Amino acid sequence: MIAAIGRLGAQVTTLVEGLGRVTRFGVLLCKSMLQPPTRFRFFLHALYDAGVLSVALICLSGFTVGMVFGLQLSTTLARFGASEGLGDIVGLSFVRELGPVIAGLLLTGRAGSAMTAEIGAMKATEQLDGLRMMAIDPVHFVAMPRALALTLSMPLLNALFIVFAFAGAYSVGVTIQGLDGGVYQTGLEGAVNFFEDVGQSLLKSLVFGMLLGLVATYKGYTCDPDAAGVARATTSTVVTASVAILLSDYMITALWGV
Amino acid sequence: MRTDEEFISVRDVHLAFGSRPVYKGLACRLRKGGIHLLLGGSGTGKSTLLRMIGGLQQPDSGEICVSGHLMSGLREKDLGAIRKEIGMLFQNGALLDSMTVFENVGLPLREHTRKSAAEIAARVGEVIAAVGLEDVNGLLPRELSGGMLRRVAFARAIVMKPEILLCDEPFSGLDPLNVTRIENLLMQLNRDLGLTIVVTSHHMASSLRMADQMILLRDGVCITGTPEELAASADEGVTTFLGEDGRAYLARLHELRETSDSSGVPSDNTSGTAGVRA
Repeated sequence: MIAAIGRLGAQVTTLVEGLGRVTRFGVLLCKSMLQPPTRFRFFLHALYDAGVLSVALICLSGFTVGMVFGLQLSTTLARFGASEGLGDIVGLSFVRELGPVIAGLLLTGRAGSAMTAEIGAMKATEQLDGLRMMAIDPVHFVAMPRALALTLSMPLLNALFIVFAFAGAYSVGVTIQGLDGGVYQTGLEGAVNFFEDVGQSLLKSLVFGMLLGLVATYKGYTCDPDAAGVARATTSTVVTASVAILLSDYMITALWGV
Repeated sequence: MRTDEEFISVRDVHLAFGSRPVYKGLACRLRKGGIHLLLGGSGTGKSTLLRMIGGLQQPDSGEICVSGHLMSGLREKDLGAIRKEIGMLFQNGALLDSMTVFENVGLPLREHTRKSAAEIAARVGEVIAAVGLEDVNGLLPRELSGGMLRRVAFARAIVMKPEILLCDEPFSGLDPLNVTRIENLLMQLNRDLGLTIVVTSHHMASSLRMADQMILLRDGVCITGTPEELAASADEGVTTFLGEDGRAYLARLHELRETSDSSGVPSDNTSGTAGVRA
């Protein structure tokens, strides 16, 4: 019994220590964003890797999720004679919840894990130590531009995901199921409030981007410097960032008000 | 207190990786402007000592002083100021794989100097030529052979004209011609710029030709001395590590140095030691 309590205490201590280290790394990242030089070239490169190369995945996923949503909803709503509510429900669901969360999870798998693996490989091949020996701060040179790129690309990809989801739901609900296009569009426009819903959506995606940027760079930066260590860090990024996104989604929704 | 005889000093350093002790009270002093050779079997902590001198690794206890600065306990920002005077060649090169050779070699100049693009290009061209490479500026590290990669890394380590050069296995993966080239370059840098050089190497012939001081790591401590002193040493650790061939080589090297000193022939004439095996 005492041993079990001891183990629990040790786990809690480890968890708190870990949170402290992540927070400290986050502070270092924020401070390095304010330090010259701006590393704009590296930021653009990371933005291309994380954002531009994810566009196709985000658009395709948004469209297919929208199609599935449109099909399920239009069938179900027709049973209750409420087919005209498709636009309202699609609008609110994707703008408030599904857009930021699914785009966040997709970017975690597509770009966050790759970023951890890249930084981890740099650590394993002593590139980060090489930078230190040249009196160049690796957090400023390597981690900051990448974390910033993930943070800023998330709201844009979220917006893209939502637009393509609307198109997917329209293509099934209107084109296949025969709902009136005007009704779909009017319902969508009427249900979605810019500040309440779009504002919340952008805030969520920005927070998810920050969390993913922090987790992905931290895990890469602190991984064990060998192949197994990089693999563990990559897996850990996907798990940690996904859980962080889902938890923070609930917290923002609860605080913002439904 | 910094003196030229104690330019780099290691005092009573203890370090363990997990349960395995690496240093048990390691102590040595490295003279300014000398070429210091770190010797020892695998796992005796040669590369770790270089990392400690560069401030990349902290000891469990003890002190490392570099150019009057105590390296242990310093913040990264303060270490950065000292590291601007240190060039380091890592065992695997540690070149940034997303940058070309030109960008890699010119990186410290772009970060820490106000040189114009033309001046940077000129200096990069100079050091790349010095390590015997040409037409590689636009290549990425993955497009280079192992030997070329190490030479580019060497060029990057010396591009800022540092006061101290730490070289982890500078000759591994190089063909004999380039071993001689790098060896001559190291000795030239030492002679012309007064560079303090610390080298780990298993390439005994080149290392012994260059070294002013040898530091043999063994059982967590070290035995130091000039090559001649170690050749004459009766210490069991020294004799075991150097073996009969090594001791014979050092004795022959000593004779050659004395001959070249008296005849005025430069002592870095590598052809003078041809045929002598380590």
